[in-house]
Amino acid sequence: MSAIEASAQSRVEHRAAAAVHPPIFRLAGVTKRFGGVTAVEAVDFDLRRGEVHAQVGENGAGKSTLVKLVGGLYVPDEGRVEVGGEVVQFSSPRDSEAAGIAMIPQELDLFLELSAAENLFVGRRRPRRPWGALDWRQMEARAREQLGALGVEFDVEAPVERLSMANRQIMLIAKALMGDAAAVVMDEPTSSLTEREAARLFRIIDELTARGVGVVYISHRLGEVFMVADRITVLRDGQHVRTAPASELDSEEVVRLMVGRSLDELFSRGGHEAGDVALEVRGLTRTGEFEDIDLTVRHGEVVGIAGLIGAGRTELAQTIFGVRAAERGEVLVDGEPVELDSPAAAMEAGIGYVPEERQSQGLVLPFTIAANISLSILGRLSRLGFVASQRERETADGFAEQLAIRGARVSEPVSRLSGGNQQKVVLAKSLAGGPQVLLLDEPTRGVDVGAKSEIYRLIDRLASEGRAIVLISSELEEVLSMADRVLVMREGRVSAELSREEATQERVIAAATGVAVGEDEGAEGAAPAASVDTER
Amino acid sequence: MSGVGALRSVGLRTAPTTRGLRRWLLRPEAPAAVFLVVLLAAFSLAADRFLTPDNLESILVQVAVLGIIALAVNQVILAGEIDISVGSMLGLCAVAVGTVATATGGLLAPLAAGVATGVLAGAVNGLLVTLGRIPSIIVTLGMLYALRGVILLVTGGTWITQIPDETRVLGLAKLAGVSLPVFVMFALFLIVNAVSRNSTWGRDVFAVGGNRRAARLAGLAIDRTRLLAFALVGAFVGIAATIYVGRAGSVQTNAGEGLELQVIAAVVIGGTSIAGGRGSALAPVIGAVLIGVILNGMILVGVPGVWQSAVLGALILLAVTTDALRRRLVGGAA
Repeated sequence: MSAIEASAQSRVEHRAAAAVHPPIFRLAGVTKRFGGVTAVEAVDFDLRRGEVHAQVGENGAGKSTLVKLVGGLYVPDEGRVEVGGEVVQFSSPRDSEAAGIAMIPQELDLFLELSAAENLFVGRRRPRRPWGALDWRQMEARAREQLGALGVEFDVEAPVERLSMANRQIMLIAKALMGDAAAVVMDEPTSSLTEREAARLFRIIDELTARGVGVVYISHRLGEVFMVADRITVLRDGQHVRTAPASELDSEEVVRLMVGRSLDELFSRGGHEAGDVALEVRGLTRTGEFEDIDLTVRHGEVVGIAGLIGAGRTELAQTIFGVRAAERGEVLVDGEPVELDSPAAAMEAGIGYVPEERQSQGLVLPFTIAANISLSILGRLSRLGFVASQRERETADGFAEQLAIRGARVSEPVSRLSGGNQQKVVLAKSLAGGPQVLLLDEPTRGVDVGAKSEIYRLIDRLASEGRAIVLISSELEEVLSMADRVLVMREGRVSAELSREEATQERVIAAATGVAVGEDEGAEGAAPAASVDTER
Repeated sequence: MSGVGALRSVGLRTAPTTRGLRRWLLRPEAPAAVFLVVLLAAFSLAADRFLTPDNLESILVQVAVLGIIALAVNQVILAGEIDISVGSMLGLCAVAVGTVATATGGLLAPLAAGVATGVLAGAVNGLLVTLGRIPSIIVTLGMLYALRGVILLVTGGTWITQIPDETRVLGLAKLAGVSLPVFVMFALFLIVNAVSRNSTWGRDVFAVGGNRRAARLAGLAIDRTRLLAFALVGAFVGIAATIYVGRAGSVQTNAGEGLELQVIAAVVIGGTSIAGGRGSALAPVIGAVLIGVILNGMILVGVPGVWQSAVLGALILLAVTTDALRRRLVGGAA
């Protein structure tokens, strides 16, 4: 870590120089809406030469929308984008690249079968021999040179799929610099890097800023943000909250700004008596996704699983449900081991799963509402292989009434329903099998407020009827108001288990990001953040 | 809107209210059906000999083999897969039918041999696709060549001739004035239609083709559903082969060549989506009849034979374009 601390020191020196130049680019009061949803509203953001400007905020705060506005993927509905003081209209990523802004997305866009050298020259003039053939030797030499300038060296002739994630990322940075980028936007650059690789990345960021390149750094990891950033912008619910020099902030303050408002509760569950253990997960592991997960849920209990996107929560739920094969560990329902080999076996054992993507995973869109609800239980509704349509319709009508599915009759296509009502159909489908254990993966994503509170009420009712419920949600308020107990996952492990009383927004965020906040003791990852803070 | 989308409340029996008509027009096979009616009218006006019972019956007899196979391949396509091996499969089944027919005579033994051969080949397709996790277009392309190779190896390249009359009954005989192949085609249609609309397997086929991930997460037996569809193709090819042998009276080693693409054309023209999940059991029948009407009508009107391929090709393009446009206009169904 000493190299990084030193770099933080050296950064202070060129920060002063950065302030005198005009910004490389500036977003002035940009607003972007999707349908009725406002993703970002009147946000200002600028990047100066030679600085690292970090963006932080919860999932859905609008970070990636901002990035896409800069990257030419979205056009703002209001406000303007300026580059070098002039208003520009990006209509494609190519425009933004031509303006000197390079994007390093979280999911790296590379041609895995091509070599590093070839990747570097994609979309660029490739050196040719006099008779027109590609000059491979020169391409490879220039690739090596480019990487050497970043202080790294690896086989540029091997297909990129053989490179580590860290080297792939560095390749994209090298590619950006070949285009003489004035600004590099990094979205969660360390999410798949080891600590040592991350340290190397920070060193490269240092070299970039020393050359006058500006870096936008987006990360959930506040410790890192404080290591690399000169300025920090906090976003919340699509709104700009604050931009300040990193030296004027500390991680406690940043978390407070990210969370912001007080809990406005759509619904709050009363206290509940939990029964016997319904679901027990022991040491469940899928290397690279999650490791050694223990989880116990009692009848009548709602256990929330919080964490950042990519923490392994969906993977865990799908493994319990038999969609993905477990490497190690076991799952028991009411003390009986469950065969973890298919969703059918999991349903047989009394587990139900509501997937996070309603349209791609939950519904068969051309089907009627009734056919969707009965999808999993068709065998039970049929005799000699033929569907008893009377019983099917009665079942569907029953669920439509119980869950207040409104907007279409059950004999009409499910695609006619609104998002909230479609979500109720997905819930009905999972409930149709009569599960005792329900895994809900983002059950209120993309539904309106009315449907949301109806779904909360339903969850409450299901729990009071004795079902064990696992609620995976990226909305903190939802977890905090619904769950009797909260598990926080970070990088594939359970980083905290909090009772209803212990679970506060600050504590959950701290456990999810690995940053200690306030007087909370013990969350790992606290040390480096604190040490940088004191340095400043 | 798909066959299952229309599952209970809509159907051919809907009262002819405007709402019913509108819904009927949204059915997958509606454009092909409308086009078929228009063509029938046009050819009737253009050629005197077209709209006669004899001619219409001969059209149906000619498309029976195509229609029967398309009925089964339709299920495979609905399930999100494809089978392009049926041309060679028909040849191989015809060899089985012919071999048994010349050895034992009768109808049932050759028919059983044809069906068994088909089911075996279909099961190989299905197992390679499901257990082998190989794309069905590759598996069935391989089988298209492999089965043709088996035909040549088994027959040594010689024709099977002198098929006994009692075996040829299925291809040649008439019942109440209607040829047996037509009867068989419509009987199989009624069965497949009922199974497709009302059985759990029929429903699963639509679900697997409509959204495989959702079907998997709902615990459906995706592999078994697809395997059955491929096996069904084999069984229907076996039946079709018996009709084919009956009509031809001999088995050539190139029997069925090119049939696989005609079958897919019939399915797509009829209105089943090549992407799976949308369509109906009626679509392949209408598609096959439409192809038969066009080929027959063109001859009667005096269009030179060289135009056949161009017209069929245009028809396929028209069908898929109509489907794409209609889906965009109807909306909702993403």
